[in-house]
Parts: sequence; C-alpha cells; structure tokens
Amino acid sequence: MVSLVQTLILGLQVGALYALMASGLTLIFGVMRVINLAHGAFAILAAFLTFTLWRNLGMDPILSIPVVMAVMFAIGWLVYVLVIRHVRGAHVSMTVLATFGIALVLEGAMGFIWGNTSTAVRTSYTDASLSLGPLYVPQAMLITAAIAALVIGGLYLLLNYTWTGRAIRAASTNEGGALLVGVSVATVAALTFAIGVATLGAGGAMLSTIYPFLPGTHYQWIARLLAIVVLGGLGSLPGAILGALVIGVGEMAATNYLGAAWPVAVPFLVIIVVLITRPQGILGTRLREDAVA
Amino acid sequence: MRKITALRAIVGIAAIALAASGCTADGPANSDTATIGASLPLTGEFSQGGLDTQRGYETWVEMTNEGGGLVGKPVKIIVKDDATTQDTAVSNYNNLIAKDKVDLLLGSQSSLLNIPASAVAEKNKMLFVCPSCASPDMFSRGFSYIFFSQQAVASDQAKVFAHWIANLPPDQRPKTAAYPALDDPFAGPAVDGAEKILSAAGIRTVYKDQYPTTTKNFDSVVNAMKDAGAEMVVQGAQFEDGVNMIRAMNRAGYKPSIVFQSSSPTYGQQYLDGVGAQNAEGVFSSASYSPIAKTADNAEFVKRYEQKYGTTPPEDAADGFAAAQVLAAAVNAVGSYDDQAKLADWLRANIVETVLGPLSWNADGSPKGEFLVGQWQGGVSQVVLPTDVATTDKILRWQGGVI
Amino acid sequence: MTTISGASRLLDPRMQKLITRGLVLVAAVVIVLFPLSPSASAQNTVILALVLAIGASGLNIITGYTGYLSLSQGAFIGIGAYVGAILATRFPDVQPLLWAPIAGVVAALIAMLLGLVTYRSRGPAFVIITVAFLFLVQFVAIEWVPVTNGTAGLTLPLPDWPDPWGNWPFHLALVVLLALSLTMTWWIRRTKFGMGLIAIREDEGKAGTIGVNAPVYKLLAFGASALFVGMAGSVYGYYLSFVDPIGMFSIITSALIVLSVILGGRGTLFGPVLGAFIIQPVNNFANDTFGGGNARLVIFGGLLVLLVILLPKGILPTAAALLEKTRSKGTVGLSGARLNPLDRPLAPAEARPPAPTGRTLLEVRGLHKSFGGNHAVNDCSFTVPEGSITALIGPNGSGKTTVFNLISGTMTPDRGEILLNGERIERLSPWSRAHRGIGRTFQITRLFREMTVLENVVAPLRDFSVRQLGLGAVSGSEAARAEELLEFVGMSAYRDARAGALSYGQQKLVELAQVLMLDPKLILLDEPAGGINPTLIERMGDLIRALNAQGTTFLLVEHNMPFVVGLCDPIRVLARGAVIAQGSPEQIQKDPLVLDAYLGDDYLLEAPSRSVNIPVVERNPA
Repeated sequence: MVSLVQTLILGLQVGALYALMASGLTLIFGVMRVINLAHGAFAILAAFLTFTLWRNLGMDPILSIPVVMAVMFAIGWLVYVLVIRHVRGAHVSMTVLATFGIALVLEGAMGFIWGNTSTAVRTSYTDASLSLGPLYVPQAMLITAAIAALVIGGLYLLLNYTWTGRAIRAASTNEGGALLVGVSVATVAALTFAIGVATLGAGGAMLSTIYPFLPGTHYQWIARLLAIVVLGGLGSLPGAILGALVIGVGEMAATNYLGAAWPVAVPFLVIIVVLITRPQGILGTRLREDAVA
Repeated sequence: MRKITALRAIVGIAAIALAASGCTADGPANSDTATIGASLPLTGEFSQGGLDTQRGYETWVEMTNEGGGLVGKPVKIIVKDDATTQDTAVSNYNNLIAKDKVDLLLGSQSSLLNIPASAVAEKNKMLFVCPSCASPDMFSRGFSYIFFSQQAVASDQAKVFAHWIANLPPDQRPKTAAYPALDDPFAGPAVDGAEKILSAAGIRTVYKDQYPTTTKNFDSVVNAMKDAGAEMVVQGAQFEDGVNMIRAMNRAGYKPSIVFQSSSPTYGQQYLDGVGAQNAEGVFSSASYSPIAKTADNAEFVKRYEQKYGTTPPEDAADGFAAAQVLAAAVNAVGSYDDQAKLADWLRANIVETVLGPLSWNADGSPKGEFLVGQWQGGVSQVVLPTDVATTDKILRWQGGVI
Repeated sequence: MTTISGASRLLDPRMQKLITRGLVLVAAVVIVLFPLSPSASAQNTVILALVLAIGASGLNIITGYTGYLSLSQGAFIGIGAYVGAILATRFPDVQPLLWAPIAGVVAALIAMLLGLVTYRSRGPAFVIITVAFLFLVQFVAIEWVPVTNGTAGLTLPLPDWPDPWGNWPFHLALVVLLALSLTMTWWIRRTKFGMGLIAIREDEGKAGTIGVNAPVYKLLAFGASALFVGMAGSVYGYYLSFVDPIGMFSIITSALIVLSVILGGRGTLFGPVLGAFIIQPVNNFANDTFGGGNARLVIFGGLLVLLVILLPKGILPTAAALLEKTRSKGTVGLSGARLNPLDRPLAPAEARPPAPTGRTLLEVRGLHKSFGGNHAVNDCSFTVPEGSITALIGPNGSGKTTVFNLISGTMTPDRGEILLNGERIERLSPWSRAHRGIGRTFQITRLFREMTVLENVVAPLRDFSVRQLGLGAVSGSEAARAEELLEFVGMSAYRDARAGALSYGQQKLVELAQVLMLDPKLILLDEPAGGINPTLIERMGDLIRALNAQGTTFLLVEHNMPFVVGLCDPIRVLARGAVIAQGSPEQIQKDPLVLDAYLGDDYLLEAPSRSVNIPVVERNPA
C-alpha cells in the first residue's frame, strides 16, 4: 500500500513537471496547427541557460525562472519570425520538417556552446526530500509542482480573462473571422509561439535541478510531450495537464509493476492507442473537419 | 512529359559530378610520420567517455613524440567524431583507412561502437587495439586483429569484488542484494557475472532488472529496491545513470551499506561533481586503473595529464593511454607496421606493461587478467582490491564507516 | 515568326528529351560501375547513398503520391536488416544476401500494419503515430532479446567472397534493388492505382465518392513503399556486419530519408534518388571537415529549415517549373480561352424524358444527423423515383448538403435508413456506394488540382478489382473512355491542362465527366447552376437532359428556381432538416408551408414548368 501511494506521489509530481512543459506545446498546436518537434530542444536550452546563470552568477534556479522565461520568450519570437511564419498553414510535412530542423540546429548549437557532457544544477533542494512517515516527497519536485501550478494558472488566466488571450483563442478557432474583427493574426501567432516557448522555459529551468541533461536529451522529451498532448487532446490546456499526470503516474507504475524497461514504451503506446481509438484525446473536441469518412 | 525530361537532365548532371568525385584516388600516404586514426563519440550519449579517451590518446602522442616517436618516426593522430552512432563509426574508419591512409588504428569508446568498427579493421587486415571492448560478444566472431587493452571482459570485471563480498564473515556480509543494470552489452554482463558469484554464496537476489539507456528518472527503481529491502546494490552503469541512481537513493533516504557501480565512479571529478563528495564516499567500482598505482609510466602520465587538462586522469583517459601503449609496444618490438598480422601475433605471445598494469591476451584477443576494485575515499579514487596492489588498506561502507 | 536560335533549340522538347535521356544513361552507368573507383571512401558513400535512395524512393509512394508523411521509413531499413541478420545467424551456411527477399516481405507486411493505422488518422496525427511507431519498433528490438539479442546487437559474418570482388556484390545488389524500386514507382504512376493514390493525396474524401477504395489503396501503397526498402536493409546490415537497435532505428535516418524526398522533389521519379545522392555526401562531408557531430547537426538542421522555406517543392519540380516558364513565355494559356456558345456539344434538340417506371430508385427514411448541439438533419424522409430529375430545395442551413453527404457516404447518419434499389446503404463506405452506382458533384468543385483533366477523369473506379488498378491511366481503354466523356461535356480541348488552372465553370463540367466515368444510376448534383454564366447554365441543363434520356436519375440541390422549374419534377422542399413539402413545381409554389419557409409570400414562378404550361412571375427569388 505504501509502495502504491509512494508511486502515486512520485508520479503526480513528475506529472506536474511534464504538464508545465507540455502546456506550451498544446497551445502552439491548438492555435497554429503546428507540431513543434523542437519543443524538447527548447526545454533543454532553457535548462542550459539556467545552468549558466547558476554556474556563473550563482543564481538559484527558482529565482532565475523569470529571467529564463523572458529570454525564451524572445527566442521563441525570433524563431517564429525567422522560420515558423513561413510554414504556418502549409502542408503538415513542411511544419514537421521545419521544426525538426530547428531542433537539430538547437542541439548542435548547444553542443558548441555548452559541450556535450552531462550537465546538472545542484542546489540545496535537488537531492533532499521531505518525509511524511514512511513516504518521501522529493523537494525539487514539490517546488516544481508549485511552480507548474503558478505558471499554468497564469497561462489559463491569460487565455481566458485578457484581451490577448481572447485574441489567441479567436485566431485558433477561426482565423478569417479573427482578422475581420481586428485581430492581427500574424502578431497573435508570434505571441502564441513565444508564450508557448516561455512557459517551456519555466519547465526547463526546473528540469535542470531534477534530471541531468545534455543536448541530445531532447529526443526523449519530445516523444513524451507528444504523447501527453495527444492523450489530453491536441489544443486543450486542461487536457495537457490531465495527460501529463496520467503519463507521469503511468511511467512510475510501469517501472514498479512491469519492470524498468517499460516506462520508455508508455509514451509510444499511449500515442498509438489514443490516436486510433479516440483521436481527439480525453478532452479535445472533434471538429467537423476532422471527421474521417 | 517535359517535366520528366527536365528532371532527368538534372539527375544526369549530378551523376557526372558524383563520378568526378570518385575518380580521384584517396590522398597519398605520408611515409615519414606514423599516422594513427581513431573514431570516438565526442558528441551524443557517450560523449563523456569519448572525450576522456581522446585526451588519453593525445597525451600519449605528446609524450611519445617527446621521447623520439614510434620506430623513430613522429606520431600524428587523427580523431573523428562518430556522435555515438555506429554507421558513422563505420564510415569514419573506412575514411581513415582509405582516404586519410592512416598507418595504424586505435579503437573507439564503448562496445556498442567498437563491435562494427572492429569489423572494418578486420576486413582491412589492420590491427585494432581497443580501449573499450568489454562485451564478450566482441570475441566470439573469430577475428584475429582485435585486442582489448584492459584486464578483463565485462562478465569478469566484477569478479574480484564479488568474491571479496562472498568471503566476508557472515555478520558483515549483506543478506540481500539488488541488481539494476543498464541495458548495454557491457553493463549487463558485468552485473550478471557478479550475481552468479554472490547468489552462490547465499546472498538473496531481491531485485534484478534492466533499464534502457534513456532512463533519467530512477525514483521508482530506487523505490522498488527500498521496498524489497536490499542491503547491497550492485549496479551495471555507464556514467549518467550511475550518477542519477545515487541521487535518487539519497532523495528516497535509502542507504544500503554496500554500493557497487561499474564504470560511473571511474569518471573522476565528473563523478564527484555529479553525486557530491559525501555521496561518492565508499562507492565501489570495478576499475582498470588508479592514478596512484605504480604502473608503467603512470606517474608521468598523471603529471602530464594534470598539466594539460587540470584534473586527474579518469579511467577512460587511462584506458586510451594504455591502448596506445599496447600498440606502440607491438610496433616497436616488430620494428615496423607494414605487416599488421605480425603485430597481432606478437601481442598474442607477449605481455605489455601499461598504466593499467601488465596486459596479456588469449588467442581471440580477449585479455587474461583481473580487474581491480576501486573505491572513493575522501575525494580520492583508491584501489582497494586485490590487496597486493591496493593503494590503501581501509575499505569503507557507503557514505563512510569502515567495514 | 519563330527564329531558330540556339536557345530555343535547346528548349525544343525533342532535343531536350534526347539530351536528358543521354544524361540519365550516363548517370546510370556511373552509378552501376562505381566500385571501379579507386576511392574506397567514395565507394562507401555511394553504397550508403544507394540505401538512402531506395528508402527515399519507397517513401515517395506514400508521401509523394499518397500524401502521408511518415517519419518511420528508416524503421523498415532496420526491420530488413534485422530479418537478414536473424536469419544469417540461424542459418550460417547460407549466403546472407539471399535473405533479402524475405526481409522485404516482412517489412512490407509490417508497413501494411502501419497503413491500417491511417484508417483512423490523417495529417498531423498520422505523423505523430509514425514517430511513435518508430520508437515502438526500437523498443521491441531491444526487449525481444531471444530473437534480436537486445542492445548487444547481432553480428554478421564477414563477407566470404574472394577479396578482389571488394564491394561489388553489395553495390550491385543495391543497384538492382534501386532499379526495381524505380520501375515499380514508374509503373504505379502510370496506372489507375497511381491516379487513385494521388486522388487520395489531393482530396481523400472526394476520392471515396468516385469509387476509390482508400483503405485498400493505402494498404497496397504502404506495402509497396517498404518492400524494396526492407530488402535494401538486409543488404545494408550485411555490409555493416552489425545490427543493433539504437543505430538501426534512429530517427535521424528517417529524417534524412524525408529530407531526400523533399529536396529532390516529392512525387517525381528521380527526385528522391537525386536527393539521397546529395544528402549522403553532404552528411559525410559535414562530419569529416568540420570534425564534429555538432557541425553536422547544425548543417542538417539549417539545410532542412532553408529547404522548407525556400525550396518547398524540391529541386526537380522547381527546376521543371522554371524551364516550363521560360518555354511558355509569350504563349497563351489554354485555360484563358472563353467558353464559346458555339462550342456546344451536339446534344439532341429535344431530349425526351424517359417514361416513368414507377419504381423508387432512392429512398431516405427518418434520417438524423447532429453536429454537437446542431441537429442538422432532423427526421428527413423522401423518395427519388427512377428516371426522374428530382430537386431538393430549401433555405440555407436547411441541411441539404448534409443530406447529400449522408447519401453519398461522406458522413454516416446518427439514425435512419437510406435505400438504393431497396438495398440499405447507409452504413456502406463512399466507394461501395459509388460502385453501386451513386455519383455526386460538389458545390465547391473538388477536382484533384495537381492532376491533369484527363487524369482526373480516369481516376474513378467503377468497381473494385485488382485488374482495374493495373489499367493504364494515360493510354488504353480507360483513357479512351475518359476522352469520350470529356468530348461529351465539351472539355476535350483541356485534356492535358492542370485541373487546378481551370475556371470554376470548367471545373464543374470536368467534375460531371468524372462522375460519369462511374456509369452511375443516380447522380447527385450539388448546385449545378450556381456561380456560372447563363451559357454554361444552359449547357448544364442540356447535359442533364441528355443523360436523363439515357436513363440516369438525378437528384439536384439548387437555389436557381427557373433552372429547377425548367428541369425538375418532382421537387422536395427541405427546411430545418426535414422535408416539409413535396410535389410538382406548381404544387410547391402554392404550398403555404413552402412559401413561409423559403420562397416568400409574394413569390410566383415565371419560367414555364415542365409538365403544365402555366405562365408564372418570379418576384422574390429566395
């Protein structure tokens, strides 16, 4: 019983990290129909930035989150303007290739700048845990969960209670209509992409304290993130949170009850099963255009 | 129709360009330097080991050239990055042999890359001295040019440690053990070898599992081991996974008295930084090397390495250096490198003194010898077993306390 | 007026054909004889490039022709390599190269499994699934240790042929496989099967309505795409003499294959090969000169991004387009010519409607269809008598197009029945209904824009048989029949024009010809008179009458009341998803329910009705 509860605790916590990272991906897809295969690479980039701030300025990762988010926002905007803008609305193969290309460029660039050796940020809380009787709660993960709640909550407020958010939602449902009511779709698109990458920045920053990373780590993350947004429903923020928690717990449970080799397979199996049986995911909606005859 | 003809035109032009590139034979060989070629994973999952090995090679080149070179010729080494991908490793070795026309080869890092790379060397009848070929699969192919320049293959690497544990008095011997291992042709066999010996001595296996290379989260593995109540952990690890396991064990408040990890602890300062000095204390590992051992050229090697790179040489660097030493020994003894079969024959018949100690080989290129057991003590990597070559006489529990 | 200058001679099609044939011959000879090259590293590059080219050529079938982007093509190289390696280790006395055909078949079967997935996913979802599929195959290779030896991999024996043979056996085996792959691709493009694939790419929904059994087509396409790739994989594994799950199932390989296809030009025959032979050397070059995996990543990533932005069509199509532009400078495009009233086909002056048989061809009973909260079709029931030209009219939003979609199979009803000749068809797929004789046109024409007019008309499949698939698309009996139909609708001059370049009215005529290819019993026309000039409206009317005289039943949706009244009897009126009135034109225009819902109180018909000569006045057309 203890083992089960412990698994649940670990799973939910890691799920919180996943949710933070996946929120941006689902937002980008929801608004722009772009599958951002570079999402994992951006996360690692944020982790490296956090590492540099920590190593050179002694800044604690939690404190550096606003800085990292701002930098990632700018980078996201830049990438959008340089690349994504041209392929938005084009055939899906083009967006996939473009974002994959960006991922490779980021990986190579990170390798040049920071080297290809395993990197990690170590602070007072990275290896400590709180004990609750027989259970333990890793501190870094707890902090991450709190930050995840904050950032995702902020994102939710932004999307639903500000004009910008409404503009984003309008552009995602009906671009033509949005244009007609004065929404500058081009700016909104850039904004959305940048916001998506910025939230990822927070996730990447916390990632640096939980797992070691090197530039090549992004492949593992993108598979997992895709599974999460697919499970939750492409474009649905609550869905992404739900999907992340399910997959987090699923991976932990898989290790415990099936064996250490199985968590790797969880994302792929989820993707295949969901896309075949219920393509819109748990919380996504089936649109008329998506009807497969 | 017209579209198709246009396309064909371009195809034709491209093919001619391709032909032109292939018509020139590869570059001429330079006969007054001895050129050595190697491919290493300088990027990708195994990059830590690749970089360390490269440093070992380059230190050797520098020291050898100062000492008069190889059979009187100055030595040059060409290192290519295979990004931890085998077909790149294969391409690299093909290029080194055919385009760069190297005279000699040295191996890559990790069995994964060396298994196909050695086939290239074998096809081209060139000696392949390999610093990192511990997988037993390497030696079952009937190759005659491959030689592994460490003391033992993977399945034997934890033997000395396992025997020592098995021979502890019953009140000091752990009763249960966990065996997590990286799914890797080297790490798996290492742990299997240890488990055979330990379970025969009555130590119960309460956890045994393999995790994939990409695993970063060890919390649930640790959870499972803790639940099973394992008093000893024997982990088959490369590098990152070893570091992560220690950190996860800390987080979970899980403190088995004996912790053994293959490879990871041998990564020197990187390992200390990764896990923290307090956590490294008392971790056992199979080691091929200790910086304070009194082996051939070791003192100079350590000194030069510290000069060049500001840190004590980690095991992979020493393995690289040793591989080069083996290569040089054969070449110097035979007098030339034109007939590499002769070099292979010489190695099979002789012992070579290296920074790892004396090395010698079976007919299939696998080494005859025994691995050392190392342990981190006070921030220094010591050799604790076998006792006759030990650099210290204390043996600790994990995180301090003498056994 | 034309001066024979050197440049124009170069542009002369026949000259070009000669030049390019020559160049292709040279290219082929160079590649085949490459092992003669003294450079072993170049040989290695060429062998790797051949493997990549075969992979790319295979991918071309599902991505280039069928329009499904797959990031798992590399998996089939890996699967082929594993099958070859497993068999080689089990049967060490057999020459490993001989296992290639088995490897190919296994790869093809697994690819068909992947093809099954496409029944439920398209577009972005499918791409994601292929990524998951690739990693899943890798997972199986890692975990199924008794068969694959897990992460330790499988080692193959070194080649046992005499030394002087060098790389020749590998090289020739791969060249043969590439040739076979290209031949198959070329053949597919020329058949109805290929037309169907391209139709699926252009508009899968529409393809269904013209009888293209998309699932089966896709299954065959996936199998074809992996067959030779699997074989090449087994040769490749033997060449490397080592097969392991990390190297064989790397996503980079798949990315390189996709890059090759896109770079060279997807859907073209030689494009993928060209792409592969560019990518592989660049790959090696990047690794060698810049000495590092990082450099290679940046170069490839950058190349990918630049390609997508600047040259999305690929090298060959862009070059071809440029050439075409130079050649056709100053000439007038075919589509610019206006439809001349004198171009009217020879339709019989007076088309006598067939005597009514009294049988019902189509019956719709209690149909319901909702979209979320919107109950678009709400208990709709009506019949279409055999041999009639029935009209379905009603206000916008009354559910007319939805009813059409339900009849043609583009959507399935929530409740209710549809009977064709007494047989229930509401659960049948669109192509099954097409094979039973239902054809339909669309309000916004859905032609396959990248295909020519003739190809568009050849694509429909009357009924499914493997023989049919293999029939030639640009020559032979099918093409002849298509030309007849184009002649009938008056579009034969546009035979080789790109369908996307036609005007709306011209497209409508071609769409009609397309439907006729099916030999349909019932044709559903969605606003045939909408958005076209009066001359064309007249032609439409004549065509419909002529076809009706030969026995075809029509169901029309229309807003153009004079057109309807002059052509149709009976009429069904649809409002808010249900039929509110039916009868002859006079009955309809007097029905108070209809006036209230659609025509308006002061509406009076002016055009002479078909059956009774009552002069009427149209005032407020709906």
